This record gives sequence, structure tokens and C-alpha cells, in this order.
Amino acid sequence: MVSMENNLNILLLLILLFPLAGFLFSGLFGKTISKLVVGILASTAVFIPFVFSIILAANVSENVISLRLFEWIHFQNFNISFSLMADPLTALMLLIVTGVGFLIHVYSIAYMQDDESFSRFFSYMNLFIFFMLILVISSNFLVMFIGWEGVGLCSYLLIGFWYGDHENNNAAKKAFIMNRIGDLGFLLAIFLIFTTFNSLEFSTVFANASQMISGNSTIFWITLLLFIGATGKSAQIPLYTWLPDAMAGPTPVSALIHAATMVTAGVYMIARSSILYALAPEVLGLIAIVGIATALLAASIAIFQNDIKKVLAYSTISQLGYMFAALGVGAFTGAMFHLTTHALFKALLFLAAGSVIHSLGGEQNINKMGGLSKKIKVTTFVFLIACIAISGIPPFSGFFSKDEILSSLFEKNPLLWILGIIGAIMTAFYMFRLYFLVFKGTYRGSEETAKHIHESSKIMIIPLIILALLSIIGGILGLPEWMGSRHFLQNYLSPVFKNSSQILHETKHLVISEEYILIITSIIGVLIAIVCSWFIYLKRYKVFDAKIPVVFRIFEKKYWMDEIYQFLFVKSTLWLSDFFYQIVEIKWIDAIVNGVGVLVVSTGRRLRYIQNGYTEFYVFMMVLGIIALLFINFLIR
Amino acid sequence: MEVIIIIALTGIAIMMAGALNKPGFSLWIAIAGLMLAFILNFRLWNTNLHLFNDMIVYDNFAVVFNALIIVSSALVFLLFHSHYSPWEKHLDEIAALLIFACTSMMLMTSYGNLVVLFIGIETMSICLYVLAGSRKYELPSNEAALKYFLLGSFATGVMLFGIALIYGASGSFDFHGITSYLTSTGNQTSSMFSIGLLLLTVGLLFKIAAVPFHFWAPDVYEGSPTVITTFMGSTVKIAGVAALYRLYAYHFAAIKPIWATTIMIVSALSFFAAVLMALPQKRFKRLLAYSGISHAGFLLMAVLAMNQYAASALLLYAASYSLATIAAFTVLVEVIEVRWDDELSVFKGMGAKNKFLAFALIVAMLSMAGIPPFSGFMAKFMMFSAVAESGYIVLVVFGVIASAISLVYYLKPITLILSKDESNSTNIKLSWEVIIVLVVTLTLTLIFGIFPGLLTGLL
Repeated sequence: MVSMENNLNILLLLILLFPLAGFLFSGLFGKTISKLVVGILASTAVFIPFVFSIILAANVSENVISLRLFEWIHFQNFNISFSLMADPLTALMLLIVTGVGFLIHVYSIAYMQDDESFSRFFSYMNLFIFFMLILVISSNFLVMFIGWEGVGLCSYLLIGFWYGDHENNNAAKKAFIMNRIGDLGFLLAIFLIFTTFNSLEFSTVFANASQMISGNSTIFWITLLLFIGATGKSAQIPLYTWLPDAMAGPTPVSALIHAATMVTAGVYMIARSSILYALAPEVLGLIAIVGIATALLAASIAIFQNDIKKVLAYSTISQLGYMFAALGVGAFTGAMFHLTTHALFKALLFLAAGSVIHSLGGEQNINKMGGLSKKIKVTTFVFLIACIAISGIPPFSGFFSKDEILSSLFEKNPLLWILGIIGAIMTAFYMFRLYFLVFKGTYRGSEETAKHIHESSKIMIIPLIILALLSIIGGILGLPEWMGSRHFLQNYLSPVFKNSSQILHETKHLVISEEYILIITSIIGVLIAIVCSWFIYLKRYKVFDAKIPVVFRIFEKKYWMDEIYQFLFVKSTLWLSDFFYQIVEIKWIDAIVNGVGVLVVSTGRRLRYIQNGYTEFYVFMMVLGIIALLFINFLIR
Repeated sequence: MEVIIIIALTGIAIMMAGALNKPGFSLWIAIAGLMLAFILNFRLWNTNLHLFNDMIVYDNFAVVFNALIIVSSALVFLLFHSHYSPWEKHLDEIAALLIFACTSMMLMTSYGNLVVLFIGIETMSICLYVLAGSRKYELPSNEAALKYFLLGSFATGVMLFGIALIYGASGSFDFHGITSYLTSTGNQTSSMFSIGLLLLTVGLLFKIAAVPFHFWAPDVYEGSPTVITTFMGSTVKIAGVAALYRLYAYHFAAIKPIWATTIMIVSALSFFAAVLMALPQKRFKRLLAYSGISHAGFLLMAVLAMNQYAASALLLYAASYSLATIAAFTVLVEVIEVRWDDELSVFKGMGAKNKFLAFALIVAMLSMAGIPPFSGFMAKFMMFSAVAESGYIVLVVFGVIASAISLVYYLKPITLILSKDESNSTNIKLSWEVIIVLVVTLTLTLIFGIFPGLLTGLL
């Protein structure tokens, strides 16, 4: 048994090495070999870890498989090792990242085939997988942070992949910088964890934390800061505006990074630290509020977007909001369940959207689509499956995961449940609006593109079909108890969340009749939404006369969040920097130099010959600095 | 001691070679001399030599920082040789000055007496004034030299005054004498002493270009020949910070309450104001100058932390900053050579034809911004941990915010490099010296990022 254990240890390392090797290979030699070979190798570099992940997933339960690679930083009592581990939570994430990642890699072989930077694309993709795997496989906060930053970096590189486009550059930069604001919180949390527990290892930190009493103020700050980190990466209020802009990148990138994997890192991180959060009920409450608010806000914006990818982006933000709401009410399993099903159907939606965009030669405006169902049948079919899944109609996967979240919300507070239902209704509405506008009705684009509409190649279609199948049956991972079955995922993840659920000791459980009422309400609501959508967007019933009412204009303008942020943060920082540069450096210097110049007669005049030489001013400022420091020194003493 | 002598002799040998009119010889003399010094330096590991009545203290701190200074000087020298040799008639004199500056920095890391500190700083500064003006037919170079000289002499005056006041209060230049004075007064210093200490600090802060004594840096960096700017930005700054750290952590630790506020304010001002001032910069040299000022602020954090982690954090930070700076300036030197301009726009589309240079600059920028897996991240992490450990949480918060803002300007050149606009991109041919410099700096940046223990384990 010991040797078996050792073998599994090595898997942790191997899982990381393959994508890294793939990155180096495509990066260094990608130009010299054919595109197909690069694509196949890059996909294999993700597929092999997927196989290993299955083996790992089958072998972890109570026992955690861990591997200490090397002592990373060691001096005196400062000790951080580069160590990896796998428990059920890690295994689940590994399966998602490598499984969905592999399908997206395969899809990209066809999607990117005409791109001149094909090998660069695949090397970035493999690098991304590598960092994402580090993020989920790490066994301490610092290694996790390396992965966290690494995926941010790859996201930056991939969003701006088509660098010729100035807009892409800006989007990439915005995403990276907004993420950094979140990372700031994560980093501060790491310092705080280190000073509190004198370790960053999950096992030590969580074991020590579970000895602490609920409501400890240090834990409060740690969890709050970690949550700020999560809002950045997982695009929650207030740091969500980067995700829609990030859609500037290639579509497979949006599917992989901005739907299935990277954006869920925040959810994973909070689930991983569930013990800390169980001890900070105030922060949990905040997470629930932020989550549900994000879900509603993003859903309302999604209704009025006209770019197919933007709709999906806001939808992603909204679904992530549900996951956070679930975390906030202590339903960690529910959040992870939704994370899993969402990864499947959202990746499918993006890839199908990619197939649409591909067949239309790059068109993304849904007002110029329509009636595509006759021409691209498979894509239409899988898109419809994904729409049903995300809308939460049984027996598709999204129904089970969303239902689980909604009933957890109800257990905590019926108001949260009502908000959740409203969000779910909006979700169904905008998803079917998208479906009807893109695939049904009549074609509204130009004649020229209409001629070229074609179904995508097999390499693109096969991943779509696999994802569609998974989106349908994904629900079996967590069949609810009222269906008389065991909740598989709940049992699987229970070793991870055991302690935290003990601390939260949720005893209240819904009776089956209540469950039925909740479910029937939500299904009816969703169906009504779909019918409304059908009337408005397919049958073209004029609900609003020509003009959109004021309330909806707010949605359409995305609550002017971008503008507000621009004003609050970008403008103010620029103003401050302008102040330093223009006012202090140029205007004041000029004024003071001219003023002082009269006093500092001879030297001043001689120095003036130096081109823009403010030397005497610099000396003046230094003297002021010395005086100020003296003043501070003696004032404080 | 052999180390200092060897390097000084190297400088003299180079001048002799110049007199013998054997151009091109100086590179090999310098490389041989610096390598010999590097090896001899590590023979002194753990010996803890006290020389000349404790005028020079060669402890492990001095050994590692000297090693760092020797390595970065060698890198700068390679760069210097690649760019000065084709056209400079008095190559060997300038080369010798570089080596002499390096010699004096050895004194700055290992002084045990205020006089030695002063001699070290002054010798270094005088070399630098001349080096700044070493392209003597170019107006900006002359201007930079004059500016640097005028402001530098002012700072020297202030520092000397400070030393005199300390001497007046304690009756000694030697740290043993000063320490016994401090113990005799029960660490209650007279105002004469405190003012002296403050003025001494100001002199040192000027050398590392910390706010509000930074005004010279952007102008001088911009005007000086870029190779010399590289030297100022990397090696000189390390030596200055090492001197400051030794002064406070080794000799004035007992009276921390007196100077802690000053250092904290200067540190916070440096990284915060510099980050904001760097944002609107359009010229890469000025941008790096402000970035250097902000890094001076981060480096000062170690002085403030002054716990068991501080020296290691300082070493790692100094090393990664210096490597990234050398790499970034090396790319700039190459670009300026072709384009005669350091506007940020010269990087536009560089990635297409100059993959290696582009890659080098991207790594350098990311490391400076503190993005893993490059050493800059671990350096910032260790530095912030060290300061947090000493209880300066607010400073850490500001530091993290500043480094987040700094990302904006570090991404600027990267974005331009990767842009597809290749209209003004020219193919740049790299000399072997430059390739060595870039390979060494990039490799070390990556190695120290993944195995920071290699450095932090030393102290």
C-alpha cells in the first residue's frame, strides 16, 4: 500500500509537468513543425493530466495525497515549502480544469487554424493550464498565489492575443490591473495569515483556526481580504467590469479562462478556506449579499447586450454570483456543484458561440444573425441544450445545481430565495432571447456573409457534442435527496467540508413538500420567462413602443459602472499623478524657481543656462525636505 | 581586504593598459580582476575579519553584498565594453573609473568607521560625476554631470556636517566609540547627535534617490550615457542601501525610535509618490528613474523591519531589482543605439523582429512589477512579510497598493512591444557581450524567483 501511495504522489508532480513541457515545446519549437502537430501535442499535454486526475480522484477520500517538492524559503523559523496535495476538492477541480481544458484545446485546433500565431496561442494555453493546476493542487497559500498570479498573467497574454487591435490591448490591461486590485487583498491576507499562524500550509492553518472561536477579529480580516481577492478573480461586485471587456480575446480563451476555470478560482479559494469562513459569519453574510447582488445585476445587464459574447460574459458573472451566494449561506458543496455544471454548459455555450462566430466570418452582433438553425444544425442543437441547462429545466444539469443553491438560500432566508428566483427567471429570459435571435426567425445579416455560412469542422463539433452530453447528464453528480438518492458530490466532498459544516452546524432542513413547492415555483417562473422571450424576440410582439423605457435604459447602459469607475479610480489616480507631474514638477517648480531665482542671485543665474535646469530648485526642495524631517523628528519626540 | 586591493589594482592595470595603447585589453583585465575578486570574496565567508582597528568589518553581510556588487558591475562592464569601444578614444580611463567606483562601493558595505563610509561614498560619487559626463561631446551628458556634481556636493556637504555633529556629540568616528557614548547616555541622545544622524541619513538617502532627495535622479538618468545610467540604477543603489542598512541595523539599532519615523516617512513617500510620478512619463529612461525611486522606497522597508528576515529580504530585493534594471537598461541601450530615442513608442512592434530583446524587456518589467514566477515577486513578498512581522502593517498596505498601481506603467512597454504595428521596427544585431548580459540576468531572475532560498539562505 505504501508503494501505491508513493506512486500517486508522483502523479501530482506529473500533472504539472506535462502542461509545462507542452508550453516550452510549443513556445520554442512551435514555429518549426506543422500546426496540427503542435495542436495535438498541446492537447495531449492536457489529456494526460486528465487521466492522472481521474486516477487521483478515485483514490482520495479521507486520506489526502500530498507531495513536498522542495523547501522553498527557509531561514530561521520562516519556512515555506513548495508542496502539492490532492483531496476530493482538488480532485474535482483537477477534473474540471483538465477535462474541459482538453476539450477546448481540441476545439481550438480547428478554431485557430488560420491564425499565424498558432503555436504562440497553444503555448499560452498550456501555460495557463499549468498555472491553473498549480492553483488548485497547491497545499499552501503562497503556492496557490503563484498559480493565482500566473493565470492572471496568461489571461492578460491571451486576451490581448490579437495585439494588432488597440482595443484588445486595453481590455487585457484592464483585466490584469483590476485583478491586481483583488490580488492586493489576497496578498495582504497571506501576510496576515502568516503573522497569525506562522505558517501558510493549509493543514496547519486550518487545524489551528478550528481551535479559534467564531467571530475572532483576525479571522474576520483574513477572510474579508481573501474575499476581496476572490471578487477580483471571479468578477464579483465591485470588480466585475473587466470580464465583459476580456471577451476581446479569442473565443476558446473566453470558454477556458473566462467561463470554466480561472474565474471560478475565487469560489475554489473560499471553499478551500471554508473553515476560516465558518468562523467569520459576518463575512459569510457579506459574501451572500454580494453574490446575489452580482447575480441580479449581471443578469439584468445581460438582457440588453447585443454582442453574443458579452451576453455570455454577463451570464458568467451572474452564475458566479450564484456560487458566491451559495458559499455565503454555507452551502459549500452546492457552490462546487454549480461550479462543475456551469463549467460544462458555459464552456459549451462559448464554444458554440465560437462556432457561430466562425461560420459568420467573425460577426458577433446578434442583430445581424437569425435563422441560423437551418444552416448549422449541430451547433444550434448543442446551444439549445446549453440554454436549457443554464435556465434550470429538469432533468438537465443546471437544474439540479441551481435548485440546490436556491433551496440553501431558502433555508437561510426566504428573501434571498426570492431574489435568486428573480435572477433565474432573468437568466432563462436572456438565454432564450439569445437563442431566438441567433438561431430562429429570419437572417438579418448581409448577403455576402450569408453565402459562406457553414457548419464547423468535425474537430470543433466533437468537443461540442461531448460537452452537450455532459451538460445533460451532469446533474447525476448531485441528485437531491427528495429524489430518493444519495447526493454523490456531497458524500465525496464531505471530508473537506466536515469541520466547517460542524462549526456552522446547519441543522435546519427543508421537508420534502417544501422542496417541491420551491422547485415547482422556479420551474414555472423559468417557463414563463421562456415564453415571454419567445413572444418578444421571435413573434416580435411590441411590448415597448419603439423606445426602451427608462428603467431598462439603466440596464442597457450597464448601470454606467464603467463610467463611474473610470471617474472614481482611473481619473482620480491620473489626477493625482498629474498633480505630481504637472503641478509639483512643472508649475510649482517654475513659479518657485522664478521667485527664488531672484533671491539666489548669482548661482541661480549661472545655472539657468542649463537647459530646463532647475538645479537650485532641487537644492531648495532638499533643504525643505531636511527641515521637514527635522521638524517631524523633534515634534514626535 | 584582498578583494578591495584586487579590484583597485584592476583599475590601475586598466589605466596602464590604456597608457600602453592596447585598446580592447581592458575588458579582459576587468573580467579577470572581477572574477578573481569574486572568488576571493567568498573565501572570506564566515571569517568575520576586523581590519585596521575595526575601520573595515568584513562580515557575511559585506561578503554577499560585495558579491552582488561585483556581479552587477561585471555585467555593466560587459555592456559598457560593447557600447563604448567602437568610438571612444579614452576608453580605458572611463573603464578604470567604473572599476574604481566598484572599489569604493566595497568600502560602503564593510565600513566600521564613519570616515571609511565617507571615503567610500565620496570616491564613488566622484567617479560617477565623471562617468555621467563621459560622452564629453554630447551636451546632455555634460549637463547631467554638472547637475549631479552640484547636487551631489551639496548632499556630501550635508552628510559631512552630520558626521561632524555626531563626532562632536560622541567624540568618535568609530562605531565602538559611538556605541559606548550611546550606552553611557542610556540611549538618550543629545539633539546635536540626533541632528547629526539625520543629516548623515539625508546624505545617504540622496545617493539612493529617495523622496524628497530624488530630484536629481530623473534628470541625471536621462542625460547620462545609458550604460552609466544602468550602473547608477543598479549597482550604486544597492551599495547605498547596503550602507544604510549596515548603519542602522548594525550600529544604531539601539536608538531605533529616533530614526524609525524618518525612514518610514521617506520609504512611504518614495514608493508612493514615485509610482504616481512615473505614470505620466513618456520617456523610458525617466520612467525607469521614477521606478528606481519607488524601489528605493521598498528597499528602505528592510531598514525599518530590522528583524531576522530583513537582511535576507534586502538581499533578495536588491539582487532582483538590480538584475531586472540591468536587463531593462540593456534592452534600452540596444534600442537607443538604433533609434536614437527613448520615447516609449520606440518599442512599438519590437516583438516581431527582435524576439530576444522583447522577451528580455517583458521579463524585466514583470519582475519589477512583482509578478511571479520572477524573482521580483518573491523579493516583494519577503520584504513585505519582514515589515509586517515588525508590525508596520499600514506601510505594507500602502506598499501593496503602490505596487498594484505600478503595474500600469510596467505594462506600457510590454503592450507596445507586443503590438502588431511593425512599421518602425528594425532588426537589431546583438553583440556577444549583450547576449551574455541578458542571458545571465534573465536566468538569474527566473532562478531566484523559483528558488529564492539560494539567496535568502545566505544571511
